[in-house]
Amino acid sequence: MQNNIDGLVLKVDGLSIAFGGLKAVDNLSFDIKENEVFGLIGPNGAGKTTVFNCITQFYKPNSGDILFKDRNGSVHNLLDKNVHDIIKLGLVRTFQNVELIRELSIIDNVLIGAHVDFKSNILDQALRLPRARKEEKKYRAEAMRVLSILGIEDRADAPAGGQPYGVLKKVEFARALMSNPRLIILDEPAAGLNDVETIELSKLIRRLRDELNCSILLVEHDMRLVMEVCDRICAISFGKFLAVGTPKEIKENKDVQVAYLGIEVDENA
Amino acid sequence: MKKIIKNPYLHFVLLGLILALVPTLAKMGLMKTSYLTTLGGTFIFAIAALGLNILLGYSGLISLGTAGFMGFAAYLSAYFTADLALPFELSIILAVVIPTLLGILVGLVSLKIEGIYLAIATLAVSEILKKTFEEFDFFTNGFSGKTAQYPTLLGTFELDRAGTYYFVVAILILVMLLTYNLMNGRLGRALNAMRGSEAASQAMGVNLLNHRLIAFALATMYAAIAGVLYVHFVKYSYPTIWSLNLSLNFLAMIVIGGLRSIYGTLLGAFIVFAVPDLLLKQVPFFSDLSYVLNGILIIVVIIFYPNGLVHMFTDLKRFIVKLVKGEK
Repeated sequence: MQNNIDGLVLKVDGLSIAFGGLKAVDNLSFDIKENEVFGLIGPNGAGKTTVFNCITQFYKPNSGDILFKDRNGSVHNLLDKNVHDIIKLGLVRTFQNVELIRELSIIDNVLIGAHVDFKSNILDQALRLPRARKEEKKYRAEAMRVLSILGIEDRADAPAGGQPYGVLKKVEFARALMSNPRLIILDEPAAGLNDVETIELSKLIRRLRDELNCSILLVEHDMRLVMEVCDRICAISFGKFLAVGTPKEIKENKDVQVAYLGIEVDENA
Repeated sequence: MKKIIKNPYLHFVLLGLILALVPTLAKMGLMKTSYLTTLGGTFIFAIAALGLNILLGYSGLISLGTAGFMGFAAYLSAYFTADLALPFELSIILAVVIPTLLGILVGLVSLKIEGIYLAIATLAVSEILKKTFEEFDFFTNGFSGKTAQYPTLLGTFELDRAGTYYFVVAILILVMLLTYNLMNGRLGRALNAMRGSEAASQAMGVNLLNHRLIAFALATMYAAIAGVLYVHFVKYSYPTIWSLNLSLNFLAMIVIGGLRSIYGTLLGAFIVFAVPDLLLKQVPFFSDLSYVLNGILIIVVIIFYPNGLVHMFTDLKRFIVKLVKGEK
């Protein structure tokens, strides 16, 4: 397929989606390099989460292409994929409001991230044949390893319900990491975290980039975190592209300042 | 040693052995022989309820057709063994496979959209099946009911009532074991994820339609197994048994006993089916009220034990531990 994405992991090209008459995303293009922390910012209602949902195929865009390079270097157009096949390519997301299963233990929640890696069929599982047992053991060990990277391995067997919010966020992180991703999409990871936890989060994001060799796409309202952790940032407003560049360039960009601060007289303000 | 005591498989086997004592106790005169029928029936209903628990408890989907599918399997097995004189083993396989295929068909049409349509579709299918049981006399014998015999295993071992009871207990324990394995592995986690958050489970690679279908197929299969056992243990089947009322009783069983709990399902079956028979009907005043019991129980359970009465034991254990420690 297309080989025009050298050095990139994701290329969004001319993405548009409309809900009824409202153009939520309008001809948006950007790309994410390998081993890059990429921020997507914009005022409330700018269409950031819609972009996320288009990339992960929760929404099917009206037009545009989304190219993704998997671990083997082959390029896929994500629009041809089902929503549940996205993770197999090495693209995984977290959610704005933590989406975990309260009744399951933390480690079981994390193991759901390895769902597509299991090879044993229903009969293997029902009878606990050696294949199923071996797999279960292998991924359980892997889940413990991921939990200890995040420093919450001591809570592995506790139920997810009732854990502090910061821990739940980490569990969701761990679940995403189980799939050994090439690109992680984080939807407002700092929402609901206190200052200390936010600092910890920015360290964690850089560690993921450097140690696990993956890229990160970040939607975030906490500007301190975005400016600190991102290599490049794309700003959008009302679904339209505003600017892309380093945090410094974005801060100094006139269009971005207008969109955020409303320096010009804006009748919607 | 501690590891052995905590082994869940050992618990299931122990439970099976205890349940298998009942016929001996009855023979020794410590228990009425009629209890055998009541308990056996309870275990059969527990199997169907386990299937419904996979569907409702783990996957968050509702079926109102459990009774219909169970009845379908019952009539099929009676027809195969009595009219066609097929061996018991073959007839049990056919009588389980055919309703399961019908279930998958119903699931395919109704599960594509959203979970709630399954409830509507299964209600409709179950009512159609019930009407079929009434009208197709050549196959079901209509209102006079279809009779069946105790199973004959391998063509030689003719079971009597106690023998069939052992057979039912063995199947119950087997089904509990398989359910435990399935629900504590990859499939169980995926079903839980689906109930917890459809978006998150899809993002983690769970194919929603596939897993809804698997859950529903399992529930139908369990109901069919229960149906076959029922017709060969009770030895008859009337159309009126397989009504919506029975489907709702299955729902009551898992809500009262415990969602997502294997032992809870058995407890629920005991409370809903055995308690009215064994206890309440002995007392003249309560005998008419026994069917009000389910309603009251559901309300009480939802208020005090929203996850089912089985959690009462955990609380009780904690209370005793506290009491013992407090005295020291």
